[in-house]
Amino acid sequence: MNLIDVQNLHFSYPEGIELLKGIDLAFDHRSTAIIGQNGAGKTTFVKLLKGLLKPVSGDILINGVNTKEISVAKLAAHIGLVFQNPGDQIFKSSVYDEVIFGPHNIGIPEDEADESTKKALIEVGLENKVNDNPYDLSFSERKLISIASILAMNTQIVLLDEPTIAQDDYGKQLIQGLVRKLEGEGRLVISILHDMDFVAETFTRTLVFQNGKVTMDNDTKSVFSQTEAVRRAYLEPPHVTQLGNRLGYTETYLTAEQFVKDSLRKREEFKQ
Amino acid sequence: MQNISLYVNKKSFVHDVDFLTKLIYIFVFIAIPIISGSVIIGLLAILISLILHTCAGVLKKLIPIVALSLFVLLSVIIVQAAFIPGYHIVFFSLGPVHFYQEGLIHASLIIVRFLDILLVSSLTVLTTRPSDIVETLQRKGLSHRMGYVINSIFQIIPQMVSSMKTISDAQRSRGMETEGNLFVRVKAFLPLIGPVVISSLVGTRERAMALEARAFSADAKRTYFHEEMKYRYKTPVRIILLLLLVVSIIWRVL
Repeated sequence: MNLIDVQNLHFSYPEGIELLKGIDLAFDHRSTAIIGQNGAGKTTFVKLLKGLLKPVSGDILINGVNTKEISVAKLAAHIGLVFQNPGDQIFKSSVYDEVIFGPHNIGIPEDEADESTKKALIEVGLENKVNDNPYDLSFSERKLISIASILAMNTQIVLLDEPTIAQDDYGKQLIQGLVRKLEGEGRLVISILHDMDFVAETFTRTLVFQNGKVTMDNDTKSVFSQTEAVRRAYLEPPHVTQLGNRLGYTETYLTAEQFVKDSLRKREEFKQ
Repeated sequence: MQNISLYVNKKSFVHDVDFLTKLIYIFVFIAIPIISGSVIIGLLAILISLILHTCAGVLKKLIPIVALSLFVLLSVIIVQAAFIPGYHIVFFSLGPVHFYQEGLIHASLIIVRFLDILLVSSLTVLTTRPSDIVETLQRKGLSHRMGYVINSIFQIIPQMVSSMKTISDAQRSRGMETEGNLFVRVKAFLPLIGPVVISSLVGTRERAMALEARAFSADAKRTYFHEEMKYRYKTPVRIILLLLLVVSIIWRVL
């Protein structure tokens, strides 16, 4: 069974234009990036997956449960959402209390909640700041707190809204490691992103949203191999992909390592 | 984002009238029924205001405003007609409660005045952009700090409402139950206060710095982005309104 099934999903706000126009998707455990220009309907789609918004027509099934028939609070045990702005959720006076808030809400026993909270804080590299006030930390650290607060809930599905905002290279690598780890554990990570290099290096599957529709849905390499289609969606392909294209390589490169390795191989072949 | 202003953006001759003329209209149309002491004059003022609402295309927006005031009006009738001592002529009775004719007449006068004030004020509020009101007042000498405070209310309150919604979503996403009995709702409200207050404080500090970075406290004479609203017939309209006021005073004195 798919972790998420989206069936003929339509959504519009009251007296507003239709934002999502008949989306059909199925999600397995593959990590998935959602990309698209601003206003394409990405955040609305993610809020619908989380149950914060209800479809105008069509259905969303999370582990077979229709989001129309379950409250957001109850759905929280199955699907977690990291909001774009960590300031929207942080209200406790210590990092530890903030992270353990979610596990307590969904009824995880105290010792397990404590264990998963500490584990989540280690995963985001904040294990030495458990007693700090979140508002004494930097924006990027607060973003990591909000990620930890969802990881601690051990949900099978994790939604991330722009996780790389304000992150330096260390933060990006840390988040990349988390996405890969969760995918390895069979958990689904879906993330909205504008950083195409990060998408290329991290995610197995990529969806392109445009004007409320999914215009591309494939493994990340296939999506970025269609450079013109990506540009038509007002997106810029990853830098390494563009470099390969400009050098006339037929291969689509997603990481600098692949590119360098292939270039060295080609050079050796040329020498011979 | 939700807008807390009641302004209705339409094209009509009422919308074209400048704020100061509307201010004179408010003053005159409130003063005349009070000076005259006549219910008929009050009703006439209400009728004129209703016609102006219709011409401006804002009559529909007036309905909820009047509906909200019905509770107050009903209280006035009950208190004035049934509970003020000294009245003698019973108009009708509801069980042991007698409603007196003198009280009902007095109540009708109060209601007419109340509706008159409500209608003349609502016409101005519904047909004048808040920023135009502030800008007009600033041109007439209101401090730009006070002008900013008034303008920012219209911006900050909807922002806070929107931010409350996002914060509530963020907490619900982490399994916090927000639906249920009063205790559940109160408990759910607490995690919202921190982020809302903190984000407001941070926002205020950032806004203050951004304002200063753009010379908010500078002493230089200010210029305005919008041209001053100039109503073509403002002088004759103002003269007519003031004449009406003078006539009503003379009529009352004589």
